[in-house]
Amino acid sequence: MSHMEWVYALLLTPFATALLAFFSRGLGAAARRAATLFHLLGITLMLVLSLGTAFAVLADGPISAAGGWFYIDGLAAIFLALIGVVGFLTGLYSIGYMRHEVDNGEISVPTLCTYYGFFNLFLCTMLLAVTANNIIMMWVAIEATTLGSTFLVGIYGQRSSLEAAWKYVIICTVGVAFGLFGTVLVYSNATSVLADPSGAVFWTVLLGHAGQLDPALMRIAFVFVLIGFGTKAGLFPMHAWLPDAHSEAPSPVSALLSAALLNCALLVIIRYYIIVSKTLGPAFPRMLLLAFGIMSIAVAALFIIVQRDMKRLLAYSSVENMGLIALSIGLGGPLGVLAALLHVINHSLAKALLFCGSGNILLKYGTRDMDAIKGVARVAPLTALLMGAGALALGGMPPFNIFISEFMVVTAGIHSGHPWLMLVTLLLLTLVLAGLVRMVARTLLGPSPDAVARGELGVLTLLPMVLLLAMMLTLGVSMPRPVAAALDSAARIVLDQGDAPLAAGAAAPWIKTTAKPVPTAAPAAGL
Amino acid sequence: MENIALAAILVPFAGAALTLLAGQKAAKWLCQLFAAIASICMAELAYTYAAAGKVAHTYLVAAVGDTTLFGLTVDSVSVLIGFAVVVLGFLVAVYSSAYMSEGNREHPHEGTPRYYAFLLVFIGAMAGLVLSSTLVGQLLFFEITGGCSWALIGYYQKPKSLASALKALLVTHVGAIGLYFAAALLFAHTGSFALSGLAGLDDSAKTLIFFGVLFAAWGKSAQLPLHIWLPDAMEAPTPVSAYLHAASMVKVGVYIFARAILSAGHVPEIIGVVGSIMAVATLIYGFILYLPQKDMKRLLAYSTITQLAYIFFALSLSIFGSNLALKGGIAHIFNHAFAKSLFFLVAGAISYTCGTRSLPALKGLLKQSPLLGIGFCVAALAVTGVPPFNGFFSKFAIFAGGFEVARTHWMLLPLVILAMLESVASFAWFLHWFGATVPGETSEVVAASSKVPLAMQFVLVVLVIMSLGSSFIAASWLG
Repeated sequence: MSHMEWVYALLLTPFATALLAFFSRGLGAAARRAATLFHLLGITLMLVLSLGTAFAVLADGPISAAGGWFYIDGLAAIFLALIGVVGFLTGLYSIGYMRHEVDNGEISVPTLCTYYGFFNLFLCTMLLAVTANNIIMMWVAIEATTLGSTFLVGIYGQRSSLEAAWKYVIICTVGVAFGLFGTVLVYSNATSVLADPSGAVFWTVLLGHAGQLDPALMRIAFVFVLIGFGTKAGLFPMHAWLPDAHSEAPSPVSALLSAALLNCALLVIIRYYIIVSKTLGPAFPRMLLLAFGIMSIAVAALFIIVQRDMKRLLAYSSVENMGLIALSIGLGGPLGVLAALLHVINHSLAKALLFCGSGNILLKYGTRDMDAIKGVARVAPLTALLMGAGALALGGMPPFNIFISEFMVVTAGIHSGHPWLMLVTLLLLTLVLAGLVRMVARTLLGPSPDAVARGELGVLTLLPMVLLLAMMLTLGVSMPRPVAAALDSAARIVLDQGDAPLAAGAAAPWIKTTAKPVPTAAPAAGL
Repeated sequence: MENIALAAILVPFAGAALTLLAGQKAAKWLCQLFAAIASICMAELAYTYAAAGKVAHTYLVAAVGDTTLFGLTVDSVSVLIGFAVVVLGFLVAVYSSAYMSEGNREHPHEGTPRYYAFLLVFIGAMAGLVLSSTLVGQLLFFEITGGCSWALIGYYQKPKSLASALKALLVTHVGAIGLYFAAALLFAHTGSFALSGLAGLDDSAKTLIFFGVLFAAWGKSAQLPLHIWLPDAMEAPTPVSAYLHAASMVKVGVYIFARAILSAGHVPEIIGVVGSIMAVATLIYGFILYLPQKDMKRLLAYSTITQLAYIFFALSLSIFGSNLALKGGIAHIFNHAFAKSLFFLVAGAISYTCGTRSLPALKGLLKQSPLLGIGFCVAALAVTGVPPFNGFFSKFAIFAGGFEVARTHWMLLPLVILAMLESVASFAWFLHWFGATVPGETSEVVAASSKVPLAMQFVLVVLVIMSLGSSFIAASWLG
């Protein structure tokens, strides 16, 4: 199979799975089993295809398909692989989670089929968003992710979840409309300067001719793009939909929203950042990213320490981490970009873990209120262990992965001459750590209520968490070679550096790696 | 040699994973076993190092390109302190196996695998920190020890202990920000995280990095203005207080400061000025807060704060050129570790047998349990620096060094005198409590006390011996 066919197969698999899952509700008694089976096969195949595609990109360079409509380079490969891994693990977790919900009569079997259908459709739209090269299609795909996931957010059909879904649709659609303005501005700008206007819609062509684009228009376009897609990425002050949607959705969906969806919007912003930096120079887009980044961290950190609702706390932590990623790109330089990309991976794994854990707790206790959840360690020790380790990791405790990316962000900041900004960031991160540790102390430890039955929920709700924690520990202790290589190639795309070697810092500390040799040429080592 | 050193770091981590997986019964034995292996590794390291003629070495462990990320420093200081913290870890593991049991009158409770696993992680992290040759390595283990401290202070899962644990974690994490900055600055200036790069920097860069390190050190070593977490941390089980909050974790601060001074060669004097003024301020503050304390552990916590201030004072004096003060400071890290753990473990044994650690309720310890009476006496004398106990020798070196540099820097003289006055006054105060609790007729609580378990007796005896002899070990080792 050629690389192009891999891409088609990758996009079609979840789509076909979605259709099969939708239709299996007509199968009567076999519906439940059939939908689950289709779902399991679908996500497994998607995992294989997405990782396969990502490896193919790393080995043989970018893949372009369907006449340039799809383009997967090293940057997209990271996001693609993340959707594959997180989608598979949360999909696996869904099976265990939804089994419990159906058994307890929380949702009916037809709703289950709808759930699996939309789950896969949502995956399909996200894959479309990260593989798109056509900028209009990028926008369409991001809009489509909203539509796909709205039904997942409102799947319980309760008043609060419907309200959250409604808020989600309205804010994101309005927000992403700004993204459309930005997209159209860039497109019209390009059609007027390009010799062959038919290429103006492709990101690769735009990048090649970025120098010819009109700087004034690009400046406005980037503001629109940042506000538009920033809404979807959950940056302050456009984040208002996020805490509601994340907390009301079923936990596997919360995990997917936080760990995969936000990244898709972020990738679009990064794509535009690359073009705009080339047209305008990096100062302007960086300044915007720094401003939005630090604001998001600050506001989210303050919300995190006052939350009583566990899933809302985690949702605000997503805002905080997206802010940190934006901030890190805004700091610029190889180190900043590497830190940002590494943090994308790290945050996704950690947040998927924590939302899955909160799902287990929710099923056990029937509430997200941290005043009512007590003593998880006595009720479900393994969930508590995974959750506790995950929360500490998310707060930046070594030896887990987030510590490394956060440290890299700080190093990048000091390097690029922003010591005060870094001081503020570190203090805010301390607040976040306080919020997370307080969550652990209040919910996991202490005596457990008698009303809650002891025991774990089953293998399928634990195995994904174990795998996620193992990956986090691996990334923290010794970064696997392919990940280091992927980060390296992605960072070169963001910096628009071609094949020039990058500065040190790509590979994780503490273990001998032979990443890129001789960092002398790069600015990071020059000071 | 680097393999032994690496083993000393990694064995406890591996042991922690096993301990967590093993059941309740096996946990305490596994913990002792792995702590013993780590101690043997450290002893072997010390032996090989001494046999090879005590030549300092730095081994590269991890690097990216030209950037050193992690390495091991094996020199006289790291081996000495590393030996102390790992061996004390083993002793505390032995002590805990008896202390964390249903026979404990204050906290009848069998130790869980979680307790022993965190203890092992902590031992590994301490070994890693002491042997680390880079600021990133120090930061990594600095944060791990903070995490362990959080888990162990909050071990009993009471709201108060959890609040104290959070406070300790956050205050030390705020301190860690200094280390984040120092590491990033060092990288920005030298392109590497190796501490050896400090020597080649100009004074302004050095000053900034040193302030970062000093701030982190204040946080971890509970100095003004970041001292507030330590007295509350006494909510931890007593063996944990002995090990983390007297012998090892609080020494992380002074150790990284000493390590930076050793690596930097010439250090800007402003660091010495700020360091010594803050140290003396902490000394006086700590002494004043001795006075209202009735809880033996809180009294000891304030005593730890002042003893650490002595070490900061010594290290700051060394910046003005006193090699004697530097050696005294490092020897004091070593000596105080043994003396103060003895004190805490005596306190632990008292609460184990009597069910209270409130000083006014205790009388006539010597009559009821000679070992505890002697232990209390030795610990009090050693901590306050009375000859022939270990604290005297290191304090003497510090004061001698102080007078030596005061000849060229007259403004240091009042600080040295203040520190000496504190030393005398704290001796008087400990003598007061010693007189009230140890000799005489037994009070009700003491008369009703149970026996001290064998494992705890063994540890106390070892520590009594070390409180007498450790300063000779330190002196001969440092030369």
